[in-house]
Parts: sequence; structure tokens; C-alpha cells
Amino acid sequence: MKPVRSPLPWLLMLVAGGAFAHHSDAMFERAKVLELTGTIKEFQFTNPHTWVQVEVKNDKGESVEWSLEWGSPNQLGRQGIRPSTFPAGAAVTIRTNPMKDGTAAGAFIGAKLADGTIIGSWE
Amino acid sequence: MTKTLHRRWRMAVMLVASGFYCLPALALPDWSGVWAMTGGTVFDAATRSGPGGSTTPGLRQRPPYTAEYEAKYLANMALRDKGVLPDPNSMCGIPAGFPRIFNLPDVYEFAVTDKQVWILSENGPNVLRIYTDGRAHPPVADRWPTHTGDSVGHWEGDTLVFDTLSLHSSESGNTMIDRTGLVLSDAAHVVTRMHIAEGDVMVVEMTIEDAKALTAPWVVTKRFNRQPAGTRVYDYACNENNRNPIDPATGWTYTIGPDGKIMDQSPSAAGSEE
Repeated sequence: MKPVRSPLPWLLMLVAGGAFAHHSDAMFERAKVLELTGTIKEFQFTNPHTWVQVEVKNDKGESVEWSLEWGSPNQLGRQGIRPSTFPAGAAVTIRTNPMKDGTAAGAFIGAKLADGTIIGSWE
Repeated sequence: MTKTLHRRWRMAVMLVASGFYCLPALALPDWSGVWAMTGGTVFDAATRSGPGGSTTPGLRQRPPYTAEYEAKYLANMALRDKGVLPDPNSMCGIPAGFPRIFNLPDVYEFAVTDKQVWILSENGPNVLRIYTDGRAHPPVADRWPTHTGDSVGHWEGDTLVFDTLSLHSSESGNTMIDRTGLVLSDAAHVVTRMHIAEGDVMVVEMTIEDAKALTAPWVVTKRFNRQPAGTRVYDYACNENNRNPIDPATGWTYTIGPDGKIMDQSPSAAGSEE
């Protein structure tokens, strides 16, 4: 694992707490961390939560669109996240607490872009 | 000699009068800037545990509930622990109300004017108006329950003291005080004291009385930190892209996929006991 290269990732870790103040998080498997590698399709920088949409190849080589839910745009925006943080087409590795029922979705934990930039928590 | 004295008196009176004229009507405290609540979005700090502090079950202090309301609260807590408490505030569309307005994520502004104080929460957004112009609560015949009730207050030095009543009852099913399912009756009456304590911390102490739900006054304190100068407040629109609608029948929070359709099944629909 690469060392943290700037204070920004530490700052962004702060947003992890309270990310789901709007609703229950009972659908997520909080004890499980799943790592997905794929391509950013869209970053929905919207209320009440932001969503990172990622195209990921499954075991059969088929493309599956994952939905990763993150904090509110307001909280994230005050901490340096922008709509441009996840550009469409960017290669990315994402860590998530997946849905308990196996749905292609989860709670966003953190991401690493191809240039090593870390967004969110990557401990 | 006499004329000189008269001139001096007139001069003194004019100086004093002009001084009063230039002074503001009231020396109001500086509550400017943007503020954020510390701690989890629960009224009972002991229920906070785990990331976020608002969704993980934990031990709690016991509000001095009557047996009837203790049973209601335990039932709500059990639903919360299963993640199926139908919290009306998570369904988008209704105000957080009072006292929940002091229990929200995101940021706040506390706007002080000479006749009113406005509590503005980014989340919601919500507004609580506190009249400080000397008026009293309306007569019983002229008030009806609302989400924020009726608040009248006054200043005791730099402390705002206000009295709130005429609140919606939790019995109506459209209000809860926090996400553990804390509920009050239509007899709720709250006296709130707000002031800035050492360290630039806004302390909001609420003394909650409720002749139907509580056997004794319950004091809840929330604290808010002033954010760095220049911090901005943004729009909040719960229905803008709400991909987590709640089934009012089961309380389950669904997840909407990128195609606009529900992705998951509720535990009841799947036949399991979540």
C-alpha cells in the first residue's frame, strides 16, 4: 500500500463519519470491505447523498455498474470534494462496505486513482 | 454665570442624548459565522457508538419516561436496531421541527436581530423563529400544534432564554425527536438556554417537560463549534436525487439503481428476519 502523499486524504477521512445521517445504513455489511477495480461512469454530486457509479467486470467478463453511496455534497464540498473529483472514464480502485443482499451497491469508503491519488479513507 | 451654567447643562444633555441615540437598542452577542454540531445525531449521548454515531445501537441514558412512553420508546429502539424504524425525517418532505432542529448533521447559522433570533439549519433546510420582542405565546384558542411550535424568549446578558410549546405530538406519526425513535406528547414544553461558552462553543441546553410522557424534567445539551471564517452554506434538497426511499409499511430503506428501479429486496420481501 502506498504511503499517504499529502494531508488531503487525512482531511477527507473526516467525511466518513456520519455519512448516512439521512437514513438507516442497515443494508450495508459494515464488517466487510470489498475492493472493486473499474472505470468511473458518473459521479452524482447531488443531495441528499452523492453516488459514485463505476463499471466493473464480473467473473464472466461482463460489465456491471456498481453504485457506491457517499456523504452529502454539502459536507464533501466543504472538505474539498468536487463534481470533478471522479472524472468519467478514469480508472479507479474503490473500497466499499457492500450491500448485505449482494446487490451491486455499497457504502463508499475510499478510492485510489491511477496516479495514486487517494480519495476518502484508505487505511 | 447663570447663562454659562445653562449652556453647560444644555451641552451635557445633548451629549448624553446623542450618545443614547447612537447606541444600539440592545447589546446583542456576536453569533455570526457557520456552526456545526458536535457528537452524534441523538438526543441521548449514550446511544452514540460506532462510525457516524447515529445508526449503531448502544446503551442509553433513560429519559424519565412514564411506563406508557417507555414502552413506545423501547418498541422504536427495537425497530431502529433492525434498521427499519420509519423515521419520518428520513422520508423527505417534512420539517425536522423542534427540538430536533438542534440535532442535525451539516451546518447551522444563528441569526440574531433585535426582535427575533433565527436558527437556520442547512439540513432540511429548517428555520426556528424565536420572538424576542416581548410578545407572549398566543392564547390557547389561537394556537395549534406545528413542527416548530411557538417560541418566545428574552436575553439574560449574552444568554438567550426561550420557551417553546404548541408542538406536534409524536402520536400523529409525523414527528420524532431523533433517530432512536425518541418521542414526546402534545404536552411537551421546552425551555432552552443558548450561550457561547469558553472555546467558542455554542451550548444549547434544553429542559424538556412533558406531563404525559415524562415523570420529571429531562435536560439535553447540544454543542456547536464555529466553523472557519468563510465557510459556505449550501442548498439541501432531500428529493433531488433520493435513491433511498423508505417503505412506510415496513420501514425498510430501499436502494434505487442507476436505471431508476429498486435494486434490492426488503428483508420481509426476501422472507428473512433482518
